[in-house]
This record gives sequence, structure tokens and C-alpha cells, in this order.
Amino acid sequence: MKTITILSGKGGVGKSSISASLAFSLAQESKIVAADCDVDAANLALLFGLKKLRKNERISTNSKAFVNKNAKECKNIVKNCAFSAISWNKKKQLPEINEFLCEGCGVCKILCPKGIEIRKVENAIIGEGQTKYGFPIISGQLEMGESGSGKVVTVVKERARQKAERQKAEYLIIDSAPGIGCPVIASVRGSDYILAVTEPTPTAFRALQRVLEVVEHFNISYGIIINKSDLNRSFVKKIEEFAKNKNISIIAKIPFSKSFVEAMIKMKPIAEINPNYQKMFKSIISQIKLEIKNKKTIY
Amino acid sequence: MSKIIKIAITGGKGGTGKSTLSTSLASALARDKKVLLIDADVDCPGDDLLLSIKLKKAKDVKNMMPVFDFKKCLRCGKCATVCPEKAIVFVKGKNPVFIPEQCIGCRACKLVCPTKAITESEQIIGEIFIGQKDNLTLLSGKMKTGIEESSLVVNAVKKFYFKQEKDFDYIIIDTAAGTHCPVIAAISGVDQSLAVTEPTPLGAHDLNLILSLTKRLKIKTQIVINRSNIGSKSVIEKIAQKNKVKIIAEIPYSQEIEKKYCTGQPIENKEIEKIINQLKK
Repeated sequence: MKTITILSGKGGVGKSSISASLAFSLAQESKIVAADCDVDAANLALLFGLKKLRKNERISTNSKAFVNKNAKECKNIVKNCAFSAISWNKKKQLPEINEFLCEGCGVCKILCPKGIEIRKVENAIIGEGQTKYGFPIISGQLEMGESGSGKVVTVVKERARQKAERQKAEYLIIDSAPGIGCPVIASVRGSDYILAVTEPTPTAFRALQRVLEVVEHFNISYGIIINKSDLNRSFVKKIEEFAKNKNISIIAKIPFSKSFVEAMIKMKPIAEINPNYQKMFKSIISQIKLEIKNKKTIY
Repeated sequence: MSKIIKIAITGGKGGTGKSTLSTSLASALARDKKVLLIDADVDCPGDDLLLSIKLKKAKDVKNMMPVFDFKKCLRCGKCATVCPEKAIVFVKGKNPVFIPEQCIGCRACKLVCPTKAITESEQIIGEIFIGQKDNLTLLSGKMKTGIEESSLVVNAVKKFYFKQEKDFDYIIIDTAAGTHCPVIAAISGVDQSLAVTEPTPLGAHDLNLILSLTKRLKIKTQIVINRSNIGSKSVIEKIAQKNKVKIIAEIPYSQEIEKKYCTGQPIENKEIEKIINQLKK
């Protein structure tokens, strides 16, 4: 099984729309599983028309500190918290923990073993659904105000991998979060191929270069898709030059069409409703397959 | 001297126009007020590009990092056991191996080491940049690639001007996309936030999430609909009603905005003025 991860650095350049059409088109020739690893705001299932997922399971990948009465002797934990999550409540004469700042690192517990408890907190929901296109989607959603998205991504990927193995799927498609931090790093880890989506704007291009730096840490081969390629033709040239200098394949240039908005509102992949894009995604897929096959092994 | 107004611009979904709105509001307000714009999207900052402001490096963001003295190390593995981020790998009989990118600087390892073999050093996890255009000061944070914990850099950028905050009339914080730690770090402590969204199922889905986040953090939030003429506005109106949140502006899509975005100019239009009038109230 091969894992293909779609990322972009900058948000809103079309990662999920492209993931959806890629999954739709790939599913017509191969067995696949899709995973939504943008656990901050998981919305890929919507693009397959799935408003609700089944088998929703609450998981816990995070811990937080809780204070009890024995902590009255432990004023020192306030200044030892690296995340400024502990303050001293003068009225109660007890430390107080800000749940939004607490990282659950356990330093307060080490300093005050009897007064602090580190407890796991449920911080995410993992859902599963069957799309009408014949493949399943696994999706993770972080609870609002909770942290630990990187670890939630790892769980979503693991569930999706197991599902793919049971179903003998050939491909696992991962839609990652925007940015370059923990959820993105967790998505990239262990992938066979990375598809980096960008658009011809200065901010998207800068974000692309940053996210590719992260990908290069992991020695994974990758290609670029320039979305909305007709938006700013001179800037497309700039991205092409960059790719040429770095010997990166540009897998496709996808022009903008109102069909994208239409598809999103109909909650369908654009490759399903627009024959031109159907063709385009077919050729994108054969190119990605070729890229994976010819993957250079870097020692 | 009037009170400083601190506003966060957020939205959940990426690409809805958070940075466009932040930079446009900041430059419109800066016509007659002193404005500090904080680009808190430290994963992928870009407000300097949208404003055509040249940034200068102000300082490095450093975080505590443990250093191991293997002469004193007993190879007991306690440091690896307590490390919450698995940044220390221990194999029996061997020296512990440290992975700096995963370290969040909590000092748990140092505290449990029985022989004081762990001391403190620092690692650079990001940079802070500063730029100026008349009344507008731009602070921009940039996380080092490979580092995982964006919120540490966000907090450092927010703190950088803490003492000079009273010199400004407005502080605008442009957050990253999403809803997790870097966004929570960016929006905590503000007076109010604006959630920028677009009238599509995905925009609506993510708006719902961000509104429940700001509710949990007890931050007053209002909605700005960007590209208001694409898709269907009613999905956003429903969410606004359900959450009892006001829609204060609707910015229609235009090629002119798109062009300004690409060439680094803030947009000026009557919807931006509408938001400013709301904020001044």
C-alpha cells in the first residue's frame, strides 16, 4: 500500500478540493482509503456529500494537570511551569491551572506528587464513513479548546492504515492541515509521496517553500500542483522556475473554474461533475503513479 | 488616552481572507491611529507581503533545551520516561538520544535526573521580525521549519511588544488557520475577535468550530463574510443565528481584490470602513 499525502502550507489554496477529486478519480481504478488529517477543522467528508460519519469514537491523546488540596504546600510549581499555565489562587491558597495553557508535561506532578494528578482528557473524535464512491473515509476532529493535534493525526493515520490493510487497499490518501507545525509533520511522517498544492500568489509560494523544507527533512519524494494557475500567469513562471532549479516535478497546473465553487456547494468532487476536470485528474493520477514507481531511493 | 483595542482575526478555514482583512483593517486604521499588527501565523506568515513592508530581524525566539553530561549519566532512562513529547529516546545500557525538534522545553528531564547530568541550554525555535509603514507597525513571527510547537513562537511574538503596547491605539492579531494551540495562543487575551468565513459548506463547517472555540474562551466574536457573492449566504446566516453572533460585513469577490492580494496592496472599500466603525463603537 502506498500513502499519498496532500499538503500546502497556506490554507485555502484547494488542498481539500484536490484531495477529494484525487480520491474520487483514483477510486475508479484502484482500491483506496481516504483520511482527513486536518483534525483542527476536518471537512473532507463534506466534499463527498457525507454530512455525518458513523462509528464516532472519542479518543484521548492528551493529558492535563489537576490540583487537589494537598497542593497548598506547592507554591513553587507556579514559577516552574514552562507554559505559564499555573497561577496562585490567594483566596483558596492553592495553585490554579489554566486548562488552555497546560501541556500536560507533568513537571508540576514531579515537584508536587501528592497535590497534582495528571489525567488523560478526551480531546478528539475519530469518525468513519463510507462514501458513495465505494471507498471509506476516516476522519479525526479535535475538540474545541483542546490541544495535541499532532498525536490525533497519528491515531487517524493508524486507523486508516489498518482499514486499508483489511480492505487490501492499494492507496491511502491523506488530506493534511495547513501550516508546517505538529499536525503537518505527523501527516508527512511515513508517507510514500507528497503532493504539495500551491497557487500563484506570493504568500502561497512562500508557504510552499516552507512546507517543502519540512518534507525534505523526511526524505520523501514530492511533486507540486499549481492550482488557480490562470490567476497570475507571470507568477506561475516564477514557481516553474523554482521547481526546475530544484528538479521538482510539476504534476499539474489546474486553472480556476466556477465549477470548483459549484462542486463544493453540491458537496461533490469537481472531477465528478465536470468532464474537463475528470480528464485532468485522470492524467494527474497516472503521473503520480509513475512518480511513485520511479521513486529515487535516497541513501 | 483612550483604551487600546485588541482584536484577533481568525476563522478556522484557511484562505478565507484572514490576512487580507487584517492588513486592510490595519492600514485603514493607521490613517489616523497608531496600529500594531501582529502576524501570528508563525507557520506561514505573509502579512509583510500583503502590505509590501520590508521586515528587519528583531530577535531569535529561544526555548530551553536540555544538555546531557554523559560522564555523569547513570543510563537509568528516567529522563526518557518523563519526557511528554518522546524527545528523549533511551535504550538500556546506552546514552539517551535527544531529538531537539520535539522538545517543548518543560524541564521534566532535568528535574528527575538523579545525578544532575542534565543542564540547561537554549535552542532557536523561531525568529521575530519587525517592519514599519507610517503609523503601522508590523510584528511578524516565523517558526523554524521542523519545529512542531508553533504556539511557543506565537506567545513570544505576542510578548515582544508587551511593554510598548500602551503606545498603540489598536492591536490586530492575524491568526493561523485551524483551531488548535497556535490559534488559541494567538486569540487569548484579546477584547474581541472577527471570524472571517466564506459562504460554502466548508467555510460554514469551520466557522461553527471557531465560534465554539471563542465561546469556550469567552471572547466576543463577530462574523465577516468574504466572497459573499459566491455560494449561499444562508448557511452562514443560520450559524450566526444559532450562535447569536452578528454578521458585521460582507465583502463580495472582485478581481481587483485578487489583484491587490497578488501585488501586495491592502484593499480599501466601504465594507472595511463599516467594520472600522463597528470597532470604534
